[in-house]
Amino acid sequence: MRANSRRDLASALGFLLPNFLGFLAFTAGPVLFSLVVSFTNWNLQRTVPFQFTGLANFVDLAHDTQFWLYFVNTGYMMLGMPIAIGGSLFLAILLSQKLRGIVVYRTLFYLPSFTSGVALMILWKALYNPDFGPINALVTDMVRSFHLNVLSHALGGGNIVPPQWLLSTRNILGLEVERVAMGLKQWGLGARDALVIMGIWTGIGGNNMLLYLAALTNIPQELYEAAQIDGAGKWAIFKNVTWPQLAPTTFFIVVMSFIGGLQGGFDQARVMTSGGPAGTTTTLSYYIYTKAFEEFQMGYASAISWVLFIVIFVVTIVNWKFGSKEMNY
Amino acid sequence: MRIFFSVTFVVLLLMSAAIWEMRPPAVVNGKTVLSWVSDDNPMRQGQIKLFNEMNPTDLLQLDPSNGGTEKVIVQSLAGVGPDFFDCYNGFQLSAYVKSGIAWDVTDELEKMGIDVHKQVWKALYPDLELDGRIYGYGTNASADAMWFNKTLFEKAGVPFPTGVKTWQEFVPLAQKLTIRDEDGKAQQFGLLFDWSGSWLQFVDQWGGRLYSEDGTRCTLDSPESVGALSFMHDLIYKYKVTPSPVEEAAMATQGGWGSGTITLFGAGKGAMALGGRWWLCTLRDPKNYKDLRLGAFLCPIGKYYVYRGYGKGTLINKNSPRRKEALKFLAYLASPAYNRLINHQADGVGPLISSVSTPDFLHDPDYPNEDYNMVWRSAMLHAVPEQISPFVNGQAADRIISKQMDLIKDDQKSVEAGLKTIQEQIDEEIHKTIARDPSLRARYRKITGRSV
Repeated sequence: MRANSRRDLASALGFLLPNFLGFLAFTAGPVLFSLVVSFTNWNLQRTVPFQFTGLANFVDLAHDTQFWLYFVNTGYMMLGMPIAIGGSLFLAILLSQKLRGIVVYRTLFYLPSFTSGVALMILWKALYNPDFGPINALVTDMVRSFHLNVLSHALGGGNIVPPQWLLSTRNILGLEVERVAMGLKQWGLGARDALVIMGIWTGIGGNNMLLYLAALTNIPQELYEAAQIDGAGKWAIFKNVTWPQLAPTTFFIVVMSFIGGLQGGFDQARVMTSGGPAGTTTTLSYYIYTKAFEEFQMGYASAISWVLFIVIFVVTIVNWKFGSKEMNY
Repeated sequence: MRIFFSVTFVVLLLMSAAIWEMRPPAVVNGKTVLSWVSDDNPMRQGQIKLFNEMNPTDLLQLDPSNGGTEKVIVQSLAGVGPDFFDCYNGFQLSAYVKSGIAWDVTDELEKMGIDVHKQVWKALYPDLELDGRIYGYGTNASADAMWFNKTLFEKAGVPFPTGVKTWQEFVPLAQKLTIRDEDGKAQQFGLLFDWSGSWLQFVDQWGGRLYSEDGTRCTLDSPESVGALSFMHDLIYKYKVTPSPVEEAAMATQGGWGSGTITLFGAGKGAMALGGRWWLCTLRDPKNYKDLRLGAFLCPIGKYYVYRGYGKGTLINKNSPRRKEALKFLAYLASPAYNRLINHQADGVGPLISSVSTPDFLHDPDYPNEDYNMVWRSAMLHAVPEQISPFVNGQAADRIISKQMDLIKDDQKSVEAGLKTIQEQIDEEIHKTIARDPSLRARYRKITGRSV
């Protein structure tokens, strides 16, 4: 290596060092440590001799009904993802129009992203109040205005009762509370759906919208001009120009949303529901927290973390495998 | 690259040394600094001030940001923990002892002439004593009694309650004080109580138990416990004197300023409420509760005249370099001056049993309207400690119980089925815990004569 190159490398490494130290101390170190811990019985107690237990934690996990229930909850919370992504794109298209004051609109729609998450959650908690929340007030008003109770009675049903939102274990898939199964008894709208709807609202105006907005401005204008000359309508232009050009951004957003979704649900559970009612809003990340920091089963909690990592890894690979084929640009 | 990693290692080492050097000073102005991890209760400053006045060579400082069992354990094991910290229940004590951070002060207290068994409320024993050894001293104690709002009684034309002894006598009174509009929506409830904090008291009063005497099994599916929980369920759905989860949530935002049984009661949403003396820390506030006129009577009973006692203790960090100095804090907790302060502040009652027999406690001249302190004395004298099992992690049991209680309270699952599930799942958890811990395995074998 020549002296110049060596000097350049030293400077580069010098610049990297502060970040690298932080990475080692706060990311790589704990991650590797948790991998080791996942094969042990570590639970912070001296009466339990620390020992390697092999795959015992993972075997226990496979038989842990709570784990599977919370795994399903985690998946359920991601149901709103396609709507949130589609909504972001729609909003980005609207906000990419050359209108007077568009910057103000863009700022307003980005508001949820720079507002404190806890404040938003408390606001949504009030919106979901079953008796006095504006959402149920609207539902009640609609039922009354459109005489929906009459219609319901005519169809052999009873009065339409507004959802109990954060207090209810019901959900649109009819998932049961104590086992991984579906049943009509649990069908309806409840806490899980409330969090999904809130997630959609937060997701639409967030970073995804910003990414789409940036991607839209990068689409070469001549492509649109060529399409217009060929007589393409708005839908044809979107389908054949905009959508394919946005494919890399969409791919990135989908991958990141999957990763975020699988890791998500902790804040909502902590602030809005404490994981209830009856554990219906407990996701894997919240379960990891309770196992590690409330029950002190560090080994078990680490095993859940690594299973979650593997799930995320597999989902991301599947996304890459099938998603990247769709990208021609 | 080898140099890069070597440099990284050295820098990390230097940074660790620098951080070690930046630790808070052990001595300020010639005074030994003692750190107390506790919540930043408005009453805490007064308690700290009194300690510092009584111990001029020490400087007690509050550290409210490092509370939580896991933080205390990890920091204490790493050598940067507090000098002493709170302990709220038997599970926490067990976790602190098993992790090796709670100092066994049995011998030290004896030398200081402090006898926990003679001086302190029984309700506090689970926070202080494990396997016959003492690890701390009581900080404050409480048992719930029935608060009532005098103004709401007068409005309803109902005389103030006297002689209400049983829950059966209580129900008609609560019904008179539950007011609903023409749509059936409750404007005011006869009774407010926190289900999760009170169910064990009902179980105790009906003669049920959470765990068997030896702690090896969960016994919550007994007919007594089913009776207790069924009565609680009836209070919501049959007698309709206390809010369902939906009504409770509705009231929380109706008032517009927070939830919780205390604030709901303070806002006049309930004529009576089951709560502790410590509620006065909130309800004495003249800004929010200027017009609130309070009364109290002993909580009605079921088959047995018992109340659930609770409170907290203070433990000393075994790894603290100032643990000898920290003993002064335990002596302070045992002093009449501290107990007088706690009783005056109404932060529950003082840990000393004798502290509730003083004229100051019964009739505090600063609060002449509070003519009901005798009620808390009686409640404390009949308070029983929480039931714990050494064979199960309290938080894991709480998680199981809380899920089933949600379903029972929301009328989604019958009391019998819910309690049966709790019993089965806690027993399973007990078996798992025993399988993991060799010391518990030995203990279980000694008690039951068999292996798991």
